[in-house]
Amino acid sequence: MLRLYPALHRDRFGAEMTAVFGELQAENVSKGIAARCAFYLRESTGVVRGALREHWRALGGDAVWLSFPSRRYTVRTEFRFPKATAVLMAIILGGVLLAIQKGEAISASLRDAASSPIGPIHPVHSVLVGGIVMGFLFFYAAGLIGWAIMFAMRRSGVHRLDETSPAPK
Amino acid sequence: MALYDMSSEAMMEFLPLTEPVLLILLSLAEQPRHGYSILKDVEQMSDGRVVLSTGTLYGALRRLLDEEWIERIDEEETSRGRQAYRLTSRGRKNLQLEIGRMKQLTHLASLRIARKGA
Repeated sequence: MLRLYPALHRDRFGAEMTAVFGELQAENVSKGIAARCAFYLRESTGVVRGALREHWRALGGDAVWLSFPSRRYTVRTEFRFPKATAVLMAIILGGVLLAIQKGEAISASLRDAASSPIGPIHPVHSVLVGGIVMGFLFFYAAGLIGWAIMFAMRRSGVHRLDETSPAPK
Repeated sequence: MALYDMSSEAMMEFLPLTEPVLLILLSLAEQPRHGYSILKDVEQMSDGRVVLSTGTLYGALRRLLDEEWIERIDEEETSRGRQAYRLTSRGRKNLQLEIGRMKQLTHLASLRIARKGA
């Protein structure tokens, strides 16, 4: 997965990242399946996010993003993308890709048929990108609506913090 | 003007820090470390709450290196896969600024809450 990173970043940190991943992997070998799944999920999403950030930076995106944006210590009522939604979106994406692969297989078999009653079947590549974008937008909107409902019910993180009493009992 | 001569006001534009960056700096404040050691120290400091991935760690290390808050240590015995890092004077100063900011915030918060509860 290091190939996702720009070449410059790979040259600079590739060996170190590989070594660290190897040490972490060796540490997780003896753990249960849930811990190992969590490890691989964390590493793969971290690499994908890091690679996207490095590509964005290589395109000059650092001029727009602050070097160290804060989201933990400053309590702001802004939307934070739920991690659970990202996992769900990844699962849905996997399902969509499988469905597309199956559709291509069916379309290929129908094209090969001597007399196809359906007629020419167009490949799904033309709708792939648009379909994925629509899928992500749909679930992004669903997450946003869910957070808005929680905010309206005063159960968002900001409200919970406000209700917390710091005084020792 | 050397980077570490920057005024506190100029350095404040980089604050507040994200929790992962703060924990990485705290880890390096104690002693120079390589990547795996930083990961484990961050996890220990946060009681398992913050577990950094390799991608997140090296993204943060890259930014900290570019801003000259940390530097690589050239060790003869170090293999290419185990590069150690340490805080620079600029990084140590920024870390102290951030800790000072947090202390002021928590002090203000406790005063306000005590006043409200009284």
